[in-house]
Amino acid sequence: MAAAVWLAAFPGELSLTGQGPAPEQAYQEQVRPYLKRYCVACHNARLKTAGVAVDQLTNAASIEAHGGDWEKILRKMRTGEMPPPGAPRAGVEVTHAIVALVGEELDRVASLKPDPGRVTVHRLNRAEYNNAVRDLLAVEFRPADDFPADDAGYGFDNIADVLSLPPVLMEKYLKAAERVSRMALGRVKFEPVLERRTPPRDRPQTERLNEQAPLASRGGAEIVYSFPADAEYLLRVRVRGAPDRQAPAVLDLFLDGERIRRFDVNFTGNEEDEEQRRFEARVRVAGGQHRVMAVFLRDDSWAEWPNINFPKEGPPRRNPIEADWLEVGGPFDVTGPGQTESRKRILSCQPEGDGEACAKAILGRLARRAWRRPVTDAETGRLLGLYRQGRAETGEFEGGVELALRGVLVSPNFLFRIERTPAGTKPGEAHRLNAFELASRLSFFLWSSIPDEALLRQAETGALLKREVLEAETRRMLADRRAGALTANFAGQWLHLRNLEGFKPNPELFPEYDSRLRAAMQREAEMFFEDVVKTDRSVLEFIDAKHTFLNERLAKFYGIEGVEGDVFRRVELTDGRRGGVLTMGSVLAVTSYPTRTSPVIRGKWVLENLLGAPPPPPPPDVPELDEQKLGKEVSMRQQLAAHRANPSCASCHNRMDAIGFALENYDALGRFRTHDGAFAVDASGVLPSGEAFTDAAGLKRIFRANPEEFVLCLTEKLFTYALGRGVERTDKPAIRAMARAAAAKDHRFSELVLGIVNSAQFQMRRAEGKEPGLGTDE
Amino acid sequence: MVLTNKHLSRRTLLRGLGVALALPHLEAMTPARGGAGKTPLRLGFVYVPNGIIMPEWTPAETGRGFALSPVLKPLEAHRERMLVLSGLAQVNGRALGDGAGDHARAAASYLTGFHPKKTEGADIRNGISVDQVAAQAIGGQTRFPSLELGLEGGGMVGGCDSGYSCAYSNSLAWSGPQTPLPPEINPRAVFERLFGDGEPMDEETRQRQSRQNRSLLDFVREEAGALSRELGQGDRHKLDEYLTSVREIERRIQIAETQDVGQQREVMQEITLAKPAGVPVTFEAYSELMFDLMVAAWQTQSTRVITMMVGREGSNRTYGTVGVPEAHHGLSHHMRAPEKIEKLARINHFHVTLFERLVAKMAETRDGDGTLLDHSLIVYGSGLSDGNAHSHHDLPVLLVGGANGAFKTGRHVEYPKETPMNNLFLSILDTMGVEAESLGDSTGRLEYLSDLTA
Repeated sequence: MAAAVWLAAFPGELSLTGQGPAPEQAYQEQVRPYLKRYCVACHNARLKTAGVAVDQLTNAASIEAHGGDWEKILRKMRTGEMPPPGAPRAGVEVTHAIVALVGEELDRVASLKPDPGRVTVHRLNRAEYNNAVRDLLAVEFRPADDFPADDAGYGFDNIADVLSLPPVLMEKYLKAAERVSRMALGRVKFEPVLERRTPPRDRPQTERLNEQAPLASRGGAEIVYSFPADAEYLLRVRVRGAPDRQAPAVLDLFLDGERIRRFDVNFTGNEEDEEQRRFEARVRVAGGQHRVMAVFLRDDSWAEWPNINFPKEGPPRRNPIEADWLEVGGPFDVTGPGQTESRKRILSCQPEGDGEACAKAILGRLARRAWRRPVTDAETGRLLGLYRQGRAETGEFEGGVELALRGVLVSPNFLFRIERTPAGTKPGEAHRLNAFELASRLSFFLWSSIPDEALLRQAETGALLKREVLEAETRRMLADRRAGALTANFAGQWLHLRNLEGFKPNPELFPEYDSRLRAAMQREAEMFFEDVVKTDRSVLEFIDAKHTFLNERLAKFYGIEGVEGDVFRRVELTDGRRGGVLTMGSVLAVTSYPTRTSPVIRGKWVLENLLGAPPPPPPPDVPELDEQKLGKEVSMRQQLAAHRANPSCASCHNRMDAIGFALENYDALGRFRTHDGAFAVDASGVLPSGEAFTDAAGLKRIFRANPEEFVLCLTEKLFTYALGRGVERTDKPAIRAMARAAAAKDHRFSELVLGIVNSAQFQMRRAEGKEPGLGTDE
Repeated sequence: MVLTNKHLSRRTLLRGLGVALALPHLEAMTPARGGAGKTPLRLGFVYVPNGIIMPEWTPAETGRGFALSPVLKPLEAHRERMLVLSGLAQVNGRALGDGAGDHARAAASYLTGFHPKKTEGADIRNGISVDQVAAQAIGGQTRFPSLELGLEGGGMVGGCDSGYSCAYSNSLAWSGPQTPLPPEINPRAVFERLFGDGEPMDEETRQRQSRQNRSLLDFVREEAGALSRELGQGDRHKLDEYLTSVREIERRIQIAETQDVGQQREVMQEITLAKPAGVPVTFEAYSELMFDLMVAAWQTQSTRVITMMVGREGSNRTYGTVGVPEAHHGLSHHMRAPEKIEKLARINHFHVTLFERLVAKMAETRDGDGTLLDHSLIVYGSGLSDGNAHSHHDLPVLLVGGANGAFKTGRHVEYPKETPMNNLFLSILDTMGVEAESLGDSTGRLEYLSDLTA
């Protein structure tokens, strides 16, 4: 299929561009004089500052011929980074008019020679492997966590070109396939293990544990556990506190909401009576997932507790009975693998005779789902070969299924996302993906996993190739809980949340930082992102919002009153200090040093991740800050100002530092402050564009008033993640179109996603061979 | 160093139910002793990031009578087994027109002597590293041609260094221009690779397992072959990588199948290592455990070649236990501030202290007609000397081990400035019995290693 014909089906690409001739007149009247006046003094053929010579850009045709240069120029103009400080510059409106004019021409030219780009075959990364086996076989144990870390490129760890496959990984694939298959079928030697849950210690156990807990209960602990087999298990609770010998507490043990044992919590309370603090039951449990809960009966004296036992400050005066932990141990005395969800998924028929008919049905079904496409007879035949061998060796039907299932999981068809070039496609020619390939792209984008049955069926009938069906599927999948993968994998990397775990602030300076605060910070950012996805809000809320998600610990840390308990909930914000990702503890912490804030790192982070304008790396051996004097003899601002006096530093640092300083009201953990050491914080600043602000809230207002840069940046990031490849120059027009289209629909998150999903880049692929370039200057 | 689940063993009820880790099963052990001929030489590279405070590292005197510098002091007991080499350079780590990114280049060029291509994505390119040259020549004799280990994960988000793919700063070992070998950082995973997952296995099960793995590999080779015919060049390259890995695993299975079970049992009884539960909390315990695993891997001849990255290049680890709460890389740009230099030297000293435990353990480990240290050669160092200025010359280079007598140890040798590090690597390959004419930017063999002149 000729690419140009097919592209007509992507109106988003074409509707923006005028049908008229190249705007030569406008170029000569507006663009050239602008370049001459503001740019050519440095960027000419002789000096070639930053490799750009605008005196060669003499006519409208140069927009096509030097597209790469022009993309660079437009970005610098949009952000106001150029002309450099001190040099004459045009008004913002004039500049934006030029940007629009050239941008449209770039888009028009691109639409005439479309290039959807090319993604190499894609090895599943760790997150994708884990999710795929979970969705295929209902196994939850995340085998890929043991694989070597996936290398990242362009800020994400799902970039096809970068994902390699060294022998150590192949070794792990073999091992993981074996473990997954055996666990799923319950064909393991069952070693008893203990799993323990400890409820948070800083919450008195006076309230109902959660929504699942009985109404007349308080406190306790629960564990949702995948019981590996039909067997006997040990359920055990340890309590802490001093018993009330007159009115002993009553402890109830529940399995899936059914009470299985009741204990009177009565013992001497002596140190040496450790055994008496433990209450246990041995019960037979069927294999599969069950909820075990140990709670206390709410008694009469409880009513008085809030007053007597738990003063707001200081330790409780009495020492009430609480659950210390809850354990599940086992299995013992296994009678069978049980009807686990995994076994139900695999064993869909009863074997008869040699079992081949049933095995064939099972393997055909599993391979289709695992490989995300119909399976050929030859392929089923090869899998049956493995089945026969396994069956012969073990003498069991399930032994055969196990070996063949291992084959499914180590096959390149599972481990790689393969897209085929249709026969007869010329080298370098673009072609449309088939419906199955499209389904895979969609599910790995939104779920970091394989398509579900519903999506596969839409691919099978070909309906997925219809725009309205694809849109409906996209929306359905965004609403599904598996879209949580976007939070873990996209937001986790876009906002650098994954770095939070490695952030180790100096404990002498920040004694209040602990793993619970870290977890709360992380959770806030995740819930905020999830909320934008789930309720389809404007992506501008990432810049600024009137709400966030907090629990008591984080709210107190932020200085926000009225949030009690460990549970996160939506909190409306009133004081303008918080709202949006910029002022979240998580983001502020990962952009700090262990001992102090860094306006430079924060500024750089914003430029890279919110504005899409990463500064070039600094030259080597630049002078660093004098840490000893910081906050004592001289303020951070004074030190950095000295730094910016050097003109070669100033062109980048002016913008970076101004943004970083706007966040100086937040310390290295993200806590609000008015002083840094001995110096009052001055968070005011001026951007190169001339826009001034007095604090972070003001900066956010500026970003929100002119959100184009941010939306383009987020679109580029999401596009990179969706396709698993870097953004090429030839993608830029399409990305601009997506950002514009989303803007027209309140910047809703789903619109950005749909913009990507509906793009030629997402639905098409260029055959290998020569590239139908749009100019060769990059 | 044994990490077990304490509450598990506390109760009689559960006692003895496969919790305390017994002897690792015998799958695929190669004998360390027995057989005629010389005991084979083991080769190791231990890498520390962000350079070293050189005035605290370089001994004042050269020759035999040198006094140990402050940073090297912890190795006093092994002085006669050491060679300190000064003046070597890895000039391909320099910018050479590529601008910033010295940390990525330091790690990438360290064992390759190659100028890595500046890119974040598709077209990474580096030279083959010296450990892999050795592994490809002699690794066929062991179950693992080489092991790549590390003490810091590569999972950082954001570019690793100024436009360089993270692959450059996260790996030392490159088996080909586009194939960095990522280090394994989880001690439990290393243990399982070496000794299996701890489940006892009888001979019949073992045989069935290797038969099944062979069938699976045959199966995937057919699958990949069918696919390959349908794919273009670039895609086929990815599939080739897959097939190369498949062949490598087949080779390992083959070696495992030809092993003598009785001899393995003998060797295994000397290894007292228990299966680790995961990554220990303190850096000290973590490094000790990984070093123990290195010793075990060498001792059982599971491999002869190991690279160990104590940190990713550009690492921002903090070292609170030795009074350095600042991030290492940030601190390394010390701008000649004496208190920062002092803290960096403390980190350098700490690393050497941890490394000494590895050396001591090897000196205690019986191996053939001597100790493991007698039959080893470990290169300890960094791809940067002065981390502040990102210098790629005058690198800190320390050789430890008897090297089967190939080198005259117990000396500090100073070479002319800019002598290629890769000349040392060529000489090392000679001692390993690997013939190589040149490697990266080598200009010849390094002199004065086996004689006392200098």
